Amino acid sequence: MSAETWQQVVFWIFALLITGAGVLVVTTRNVIHAALWLVGALMGAAAMYVLLFAEFVAWVQVLVYVGAIVVLMLFGLMLTRAPIGSAEFDNNQRPLAALCAAAVFVVTSVILIGAFEGQEINFARTAGTSTESIGTAIFSSYVWPFEVVSILLLAALVGAVVIARRD
Amino acid sequence: MSVPPGYYLALAGLMFSVGVVGALTRRNAIVIFMFIELMLNAINLIFVTFSRMWGHVDGQILVFFVLVVAAAEVVVGLAIILVISRRRGTANVDDVSLLKW
Amino acid sequence: MDLAQAIAQPSVDWHALSPDIVLAAAACMVLIADLFLPEESKWLAMPLSAAGILGTLAAVVSLAGEHRTTLGGAVEIDTFALVFKGLFCVIGLIVLAMSFGYFRSGRYYQGEYYFLMLCSLLGGVVISSARELVTLFIALELISIPAIIMTALRKADVKSNEAALKFFLFSVLSTAVMLYGMSLVYGITGSTKLDEIRSSIASSADEPLVVLSVIFVVIGFAFKISAVPFHFWAPDTYEGAPSPVAAFLSTASKIGGFVGLLVLMFRAFPEVADTWRPAFAVLATLTMTVGNLIALRQQHIIRLLAYSGIAQSGYVLVTLALIDPSRPEANAQALESAIVYLVIYGIMDLGAFAAAVAFARKTGTYFLSDYAGLWRRSPVLATLMAGFLLSLAGTPPMAGAWAKLFVFAAAINSEVYWLAAVMGVNAVIAAWYYLAVVKRMFLDSPEVDEPIEVPYLLRATMGVAAFALLAVFIYPAFITSLADRSLL
Repeated sequence: MSAETWQQVVFWIFALLITGAGVLVVTTRNVIHAALWLVGALMGAAAMYVLLFAEFVAWVQVLVYVGAIVVLMLFGLMLTRAPIGSAEFDNNQRPLAALCAAAVFVVTSVILIGAFEGQEINFARTAGTSTESIGTAIFSSYVWPFEVVSILLLAALVGAVVIARRD
Repeated sequence: MSVPPGYYLALAGLMFSVGVVGALTRRNAIVIFMFIELMLNAINLIFVTFSRMWGHVDGQILVFFVLVVAAAEVVVGLAIILVISRRRGTANVDDVSLLKW
Repeated sequence: MDLAQAIAQPSVDWHALSPDIVLAAAACMVLIADLFLPEESKWLAMPLSAAGILGTLAAVVSLAGEHRTTLGGAVEIDTFALVFKGLFCVIGLIVLAMSFGYFRSGRYYQGEYYFLMLCSLLGGVVISSARELVTLFIALELISIPAIIMTALRKADVKSNEAALKFFLFSVLSTAVMLYGMSLVYGITGSTKLDEIRSSIASSADEPLVVLSVIFVVIGFAFKISAVPFHFWAPDTYEGAPSPVAAFLSTASKIGGFVGLLVLMFRAFPEVADTWRPAFAVLATLTMTVGNLIALRQQHIIRLLAYSGIAQSGYVLVTLALIDPSRPEANAQALESAIVYLVIYGIMDLGAFAAAVAFARKTGTYFLSDYAGLWRRSPVLATLMAGFLLSLAGTPPMAGAWAKLFVFAAAINSEVYWLAAVMGVNAVIAAWYYLAVVKRMFLDSPEVDEPIEVPYLLRATMGVAAFALLAVFIYPAFITSLADRSLL
């Protein structure tokens, strides 16, 4: 098989993984399982980044989302003693929410697929998408938001300690 | 033939919609939060796809900013949820009915 | 490049960034000082913060009249940016005055509160000069994340916890929706710089995609500025939050959202205005009408101010429904009226909140029925409160009258008569509930006769604010001359 066919195959495998895992996060009645299926969906997204030649983003995705954020959520579930498989898991807005989401999905995907019809993702690696160029860009064109985001993290850190500590 | 970019974007749209359903139906605040992470991931996938299409790194850099903001939000959100669960013994958001409009 | 040359010709225009840097430094100073202050003198964080904000204001004034861009166009200092940077500083000072007594007497984390407030304010200062999508987004988050934490500071009160949770969930959800729109904007244009977006979005042939992306961005902002139907979090959050924080949310946080929206709509998307203008007309009509109608029934002063604030957002949204780059004069007038409205709104809304805080500090109540006969208990407070409410209602002799009139005139000039009519009807509805409170304070008799002492700091702040509103009413050129020059 040619490289492009492999790309097709891998895309569909991981697209199915993301879809399946996503649906299971919505339907499972066990909060811990929900978190674990979320990991599946996030890993699938990381695979997509690799397909799109964004390896650095893919690794950061695995480290930060899977390694830190989901683990933090699991800790949160334990600390708040979230009920596992309780009957009061959902509110009664399920049909309305599903309708709302289906509408968003159909409209956006029709528009998006239509808008980029006929365009192809260049399979050859283009210059200027390496990790090195990411670093250069963050510390040149994006240095201002980078500095501002550091204040944001400091504020979030201080604030979380203030709120969560027992007094 | 390689995968058209529209498919990546449609997949992102699907992730986003699943996130919307979950965020609107679940009661546990932490689980709602998981769906918001799913939505943010859909956005990241869009950024990376467009970054590839335009052939420059800006889209990938946007992913890092989204990531940092998501991390900050998780920290703050969990702190608030922790306080509530300490006082009421539950992290359910019965009083926060997002679809009330 | 050696060091001497780097100092002589810096690649970054530090002067242009100085307001932001001074405020960030002040925030860090407050945090560090709080570490070393003993418990009984923690209140010193407040004067320290005030000094920091005054320093920022000085930096803003030192830039007056300049037009500079730096960091590759990500930051642009013009009169628009400076007016809003200055407004955020003034808001910060007034909120500090309101917070002082409140946070000193309760068992709160004072030092951390002032640090978080400065951080949130920094978000506003940064967004005023941000002309690039990422900076705009990060600055918006910098406004709201510390604000969420400030809302949760009354930890012992379940109401405050729930207010924070509600605010948090809505804020995160709105961020996700806004980012979805921004990601599509990036996809269409391939750039994050607003000027580049402007030129390439106009040539984009794909109208549905453009509409989709702008709509998502607008929905995200609609949450932040609490426009109907995305307003549900606001009244509950304001009620549960510490009341100085509610005042901050209703002014700084809301104006921050509006600054972002104005910059995006006037700078990045005006060429495709035909596609999204009707959305703003609908949003404005709904926001004004629903906000005012619900406000009619409120019995709690904070909730009344929350709904009145929602309705006030509606008037500003009217100006966004008037954007039309093909008619530069009407377009400029729309922006001018929006700036005038936001500046006057910031001061009068804070004044009304300050009066409510002063009243609650002595009486412990927020219910409107307890305001009966306030005139006899404290003539000063009743007069000030009446002044702010009249200004919010848009009646002379306060600056609020001009604010409404300018937006009205802009709508007439753009020949959008029906929107002007909706505005007029709403102004009448709104006058009803503001005047009802005024009548209650002056004509009804009080249940208790005990006089109310207003702390000096609050009295002075409210006095200055009321005087400023009066002065602007008499001589509106104070603000209009600034707004005149603040073209995006």
